[in-house]
Amino acid sequence: MSDLAIRADDNTGNDPLRRAPLALGGQTYASVTETVCAVAEREGTTRAWRIAFAVSATLTLAFFASIGYLIVTGVGVWGNTNPVYWAFPIVNFVFWIGIGHAGTLISAILFLFRQKWRTSINRFAEAMTIFAVMCAGIFPGIHVGRVWLAYWLAPYPNQMLLWPNFRSPLLWDVFAVSTYATVSAMFWYLGMVPDLATLRDRAKTPIRRTLYGLFALGWHGSARQWHRYERAYLLLAALAAPLVLSVHSVVSFDFAVSQVPGWHTTIFPPYFVAGAIFSGFAMVVTLMVPARAFFGLKNLVTVRHLENMNKIILLTSLIVGYAYGTELFISWYSGSTYERFAFFNRAFGPLGWGYGLMVLCNVLVPQLFWFKKCRTTPWIMLVVAVLVNVGMWFERFVIIVGSLSRDYLPSSWGHYVPTAIDLLMLVGSFGLFFTLFLLFCRYLPMVAIAEVKPVLPVTKPADETA
Amino acid sequence: MSSVERNTKGDGRYWRSLNELADAPEFRRHLEREFPAGGDSPPAGVSRRRWLQLMGASMALGAASGCRWEREEIRPFVKRPEGHVPGVPERYATAYDLSGTGRSLTVTAFDGRPIKVEGNANHPMSLGATDAWAQAAILEFYDPDRNARVLLREQAGQRAASWDEALSCLRAAIGTAREAGGAGLAILAEPDSSPTRARLQVRLREALPAATWFEYAPFSDDQCRAGAVLAFGRGARSQYRLGEADVIACLDADPLGHHPAALRHARDFAARRDPDRGPMNRLYVVEAGYSTTGVCADHRLPLRAGHVPTLASALEQAVTVLLDGKSPAAGDTDRDRFVRVLASDLVEHRGMGLVVAGPNQPAAVHAAVHRMNQALRNAGKTVVYTALPDEGRPTHVDAIGQLAQAMRDGQVKTLLVLGGNPVFDAPADVAFASALARVPESFHLGVYNDETSRACRWHLPRAHFLESWGDVRAYDGTYSVTQPIIAPLYGGKSAIELLAALLEENPPGPRQLVRETFQAVGGGASEADWRRTLHDGLLPESGGRPLELFAQPRSASEPELAATSGDGGFELVFCLDPAVHDGRFANNGWLQELPDPLTKITWDNAVLVGPATAERLGIVHESLATLARGGRSLDIAAYVLPGVAEGSLMVTVGYGRTAAGHVGGDTVLGVESVGVDTYALRTAEAMSVATDVAVSVAKGRYRLATTQDHHAIDRVGAAGRDARVGQLVRATTEEHYRQHPEFVEHVVHTPELKSLWAEKAYDGHRWGMTIDLSKCTGCSACVVACQAENNVPIVGKRETMRGREMHWLRIDRYFEGAPEDPSVAIQPVACHQCELAPCEQVCPVAATVHSAEGLNDMAYNRCIGTRYCANNCPYKVRRFNYFNWHKDLKDARNEVVKLMYNPDVTIRHRGVMEKCTYCVQRIQAAKIEAKNAGRAVGEGEIQVACQQVCPAQAIAFGDLADETSAVAAGQRSNRAYALLAELNIKPRTEYLARIRNPHPLLGGTPELSDDERSGHTG
Repeated sequence: MSDLAIRADDNTGNDPLRRAPLALGGQTYASVTETVCAVAEREGTTRAWRIAFAVSATLTLAFFASIGYLIVTGVGVWGNTNPVYWAFPIVNFVFWIGIGHAGTLISAILFLFRQKWRTSINRFAEAMTIFAVMCAGIFPGIHVGRVWLAYWLAPYPNQMLLWPNFRSPLLWDVFAVSTYATVSAMFWYLGMVPDLATLRDRAKTPIRRTLYGLFALGWHGSARQWHRYERAYLLLAALAAPLVLSVHSVVSFDFAVSQVPGWHTTIFPPYFVAGAIFSGFAMVVTLMVPARAFFGLKNLVTVRHLENMNKIILLTSLIVGYAYGTELFISWYSGSTYERFAFFNRAFGPLGWGYGLMVLCNVLVPQLFWFKKCRTTPWIMLVVAVLVNVGMWFERFVIIVGSLSRDYLPSSWGHYVPTAIDLLMLVGSFGLFFTLFLLFCRYLPMVAIAEVKPVLPVTKPADETA
Repeated sequence: MSSVERNTKGDGRYWRSLNELADAPEFRRHLEREFPAGGDSPPAGVSRRRWLQLMGASMALGAASGCRWEREEIRPFVKRPEGHVPGVPERYATAYDLSGTGRSLTVTAFDGRPIKVEGNANHPMSLGATDAWAQAAILEFYDPDRNARVLLREQAGQRAASWDEALSCLRAAIGTAREAGGAGLAILAEPDSSPTRARLQVRLREALPAATWFEYAPFSDDQCRAGAVLAFGRGARSQYRLGEADVIACLDADPLGHHPAALRHARDFAARRDPDRGPMNRLYVVEAGYSTTGVCADHRLPLRAGHVPTLASALEQAVTVLLDGKSPAAGDTDRDRFVRVLASDLVEHRGMGLVVAGPNQPAAVHAAVHRMNQALRNAGKTVVYTALPDEGRPTHVDAIGQLAQAMRDGQVKTLLVLGGNPVFDAPADVAFASALARVPESFHLGVYNDETSRACRWHLPRAHFLESWGDVRAYDGTYSVTQPIIAPLYGGKSAIELLAALLEENPPGPRQLVRETFQAVGGGASEADWRRTLHDGLLPESGGRPLELFAQPRSASEPELAATSGDGGFELVFCLDPAVHDGRFANNGWLQELPDPLTKITWDNAVLVGPATAERLGIVHESLATLARGGRSLDIAAYVLPGVAEGSLMVTVGYGRTAAGHVGGDTVLGVESVGVDTYALRTAEAMSVATDVAVSVAKGRYRLATTQDHHAIDRVGAAGRDARVGQLVRATTEEHYRQHPEFVEHVVHTPELKSLWAEKAYDGHRWGMTIDLSKCTGCSACVVACQAENNVPIVGKRETMRGREMHWLRIDRYFEGAPEDPSVAIQPVACHQCELAPCEQVCPVAATVHSAEGLNDMAYNRCIGTRYCANNCPYKVRRFNYFNWHKDLKDARNEVVKLMYNPDVTIRHRGVMEKCTYCVQRIQAAKIEAKNAGRAVGEGEIQVACQQVCPAQAIAFGDLADETSAVAAGQRSNRAYALLAELNIKPRTEYLARIRNPHPLLGGTPELSDDERSGHTG
């Protein structure tokens, strides 16, 4: 069959006798280094990059300006109301945290499972994770009514002789997210050290040499350093792997531990983790498809890489769809008036359109990936991935706002309408994300040079079977 | 207190104590003691040191006595008055008059400033309760918009003037009038029960016989008076004894809501709504829109107000026929059946029934009611009659019409308007404002510089009742004295001060005026009687004696009881507003933000229509409707309210003020009016019901700020709501309750509930509350009482629309049954102080924690505002400060408002969560007092604010650990249930299920079997 064949310019075939190459175009060590470093070493910037940066930096400024306005005026600038005490900011928080799942999954879990195709996308995905977690971390911080006292969430010895309340899932959240952010950042940075050294060595200006050199931590590629590096990397991967599961489980506890109908469900931890991986991979694909074209990385980040990610998207979409179904069934099966109503209302109430959009984007659209053509055509996967991200945002919106707006006492049911500030902050957080991402693309090695080299066909001849 | 310091240009008298003001003998004796005669000469045989001491002291005294301030001023308590302990609140009895009826109050003052109003527990018309208006008096008192001073209108507009100028101008005008015996002088007064004012009125008439005196209020009891004249040949006031009545029929009457004796009525009525304490009464209500009484009804017949006379006639016939031993005419409509059952019920309970007609109904209906009450031998038992204090006065409509005519004819040279706001609230066809323009010299004594003040030449600031002397008579005639709690904040004068100043150049002080009246009222009462009256807030036995009256049979001259509105078309009914009254409270934010008991509308009025009428008119909820009548029209938002009679359109008045102030609307200040002025359609011949109204749908939608059902509900939501209302507000009939006393337990069945945590053991107090849904009338006084006690801010219309209202206590309202004729379920909800509080478990910073007495305490200082607690609260009683609601206190003009706050309750910062505390400050005060006295806190010693104000005594609060307490007994009762108990949160507040008493023949609420009613949820 033709789709099994592996051709020189296409590695998407599945020939059981031949391992598909993970880099195309006859890559050598030098060419990989050259390809990746060229992006970071280019003189000046391209027009497209400048436009993209200007747009996203403007949005970032708007984001921080609206945060300033929020802090000066009060959280009433959002649309949050009496029953809907949590709304856009928490939706955005959960959304970004979810996005931040792909990076560590790719770096840690795929690393532990020896999935070699991860090598050319892990740097990218990890960077995306860090930026997403940064966006996510801002929201709970500014969400509290008295921002200037947000540090009271931290357990530190204080003159009030007070500890935070360890029974509160919000506190668990603080630990989970901060741990995840720390480990992800360390993992990303550690993996980047050899490549930073490469950039330092190739640097032509003293500034670049100094800065890259500073962050390369004196790496000179000795065998001992490589040995320590591999050990540390493995250890961090082992440490980070459970975090992939824990962080979104803990985030889901914010909801599952409370007794709001529609939140109080035991399925939430796995459901949230699957959803997070789902949205994270969708975001990687969303970013990767244009980036590999734009920065000439098509031979390193091949269609096969994208296809693999699309397969994971398809899998997690099925898990998420299954969770939606289970949720509905259990609410009916519980026999509780409030539970039943919460889910019936979620699907058919005033926010039913959001639920419909969520099911469409998260369950129906990814089914396109059953078709190889869709899995391997960049523009189709880009559209699907963007829709998945829209759907996942709405999933959180439906869960958070939909459940809160109608809980126990019908007298207190409310209606949520976002304000301009809400929308500005949502868009602004994307601005921050893309600003950071554009800076990353411009100044740091987007592909892990040192990790791609070992998987090049030159080291392992194409006919060698594992 | 520095901000209370008043400007020295005012000419009020200042006094250090009530004694000094009265120049009482005690005070003189006190002076004697303080400065004994001969104190400055050295006593014989003293030591040198002693001599020097004495000389030094007397020199200082001499120097001090040489210093003369021009006048005394209110100063901070540099010298503590005797008996005053700083920080310990003091309570004074006082009284105020609302539309001609006195209401007795107890006011709490904190270091000299009044901060809370309560009802006078000794007074038979209050028994400790007040309505929402009295609760809001505190806010009105400190309202910076009262700070108008004397204003004189000139070409360029109003300018500040002084009382001296105003009084000399007024005296000059009167001097001119005096030459003609007073002709040319007219006084338009709002009705006031003050005997002192009546006395001064008589003196004025003696001095100026040709001067004319008119009284006007937009809502009056004129029809009731006329009805009494028809029936008895003389005016009389009906005093209902609702507690004695087994069957009560209200014909468009609202004895539990808009009635001067509503507080007493509610108490008496509620006493008969507890099935565990004797047989229940049965309440039938016939009305067009929903009144407080209608909410409580066992049977309510929605009927156009204009059709009530025919119903009254049918009822009278049926009663007469039944009393004759015959059976009444058969009829098959709901209405016929209603009349038949009601008549037979009344006849069956002869002497223990009561028929009441409302002030909106014509005199003939009142006469028919009097005849029925007599025929049924109710008169003298459930209703007694007392004399009218001002028998024979012209009706208010006539009075204002005559005055306007006289003004137009140029007969009035000088007009003095004492209170009221006729430019705003006079009938539209009287055209009062244009008539007023023809009066050369006009004065308006008003609390605010309102529409009338601005149309008059002079605005004279009226002293608020909390800062002036006066007297009132309650509805039953009981005499009470208004005593000032504080010196006038803005240099106002009371009506009696002004009248006295007209009569003589150097009038006696207001206290003296009242004291003189008291002398006459009390029949030579002694000083001790006076003091006791001041202290107790009433003169006992001063009410009128019951009159022996006999209703005459219907005379030929008496008008037929005919429908005043046809079957087709529409009628427009004008109602007093439950919040802003006749418009006088439009600048009161607490009242503006008080949700209407039925519609839950705040900051607005709307035209209420029933669902069928709305459909006929093509009106949808929150669409704009154009009401037109006699060449005048207005656009007003429509509110589709179930249970409004077919063909009836209800509007409340008092909105659309153009000169209310910064809150209610002011064209000069550029503040938009709140709501629509519906007086524009109200004419002299249609003061209560207008039948010639044209209704059309106007373009556009109008969003009303409601605190419940923030938007029209969808089908899914409506189904979900209807499925659970029966579980939330548990109710049944008396009959069913007698058969199944434990019915509440079977409404929701849950598996055994186990706690995740080791439950806390309480060895001291365990505070708890019960709310009796059988008794609650939904009057909403508790909402304002809570607001006043706990410094709860208002948020304004826009934020209420967003759902950010801050009320700690809200009253939930649900409808049950057919939209055309539903029954209403009312449920007050505040923090339930759960023992396993879901809010406490989720707060990350431990800002909401459990107290040793089981209170769910909020530590405002610790709260960072994650709002997680509010999400997890199943009752949704937590309120979040989305903004700094007290920001306007930084405004210099609001400086005075700071004095209003209860110093025992923290003012919450923005970003902080708050909620009901069970009035923890009152609990602590009582505990401290008990501890100091070395005793335990007694039952009933702590009254929380909502409980204290409740006229129906629906709320009980106390110590659950005390087996004998009322609240413990309540929670043991069969009717007690915890809301959402299936969540295993163990709320400390429990409800007592609502028991109704429908007549078996009318069915009432469809009776459900236990299984049908129960949710059996897990």
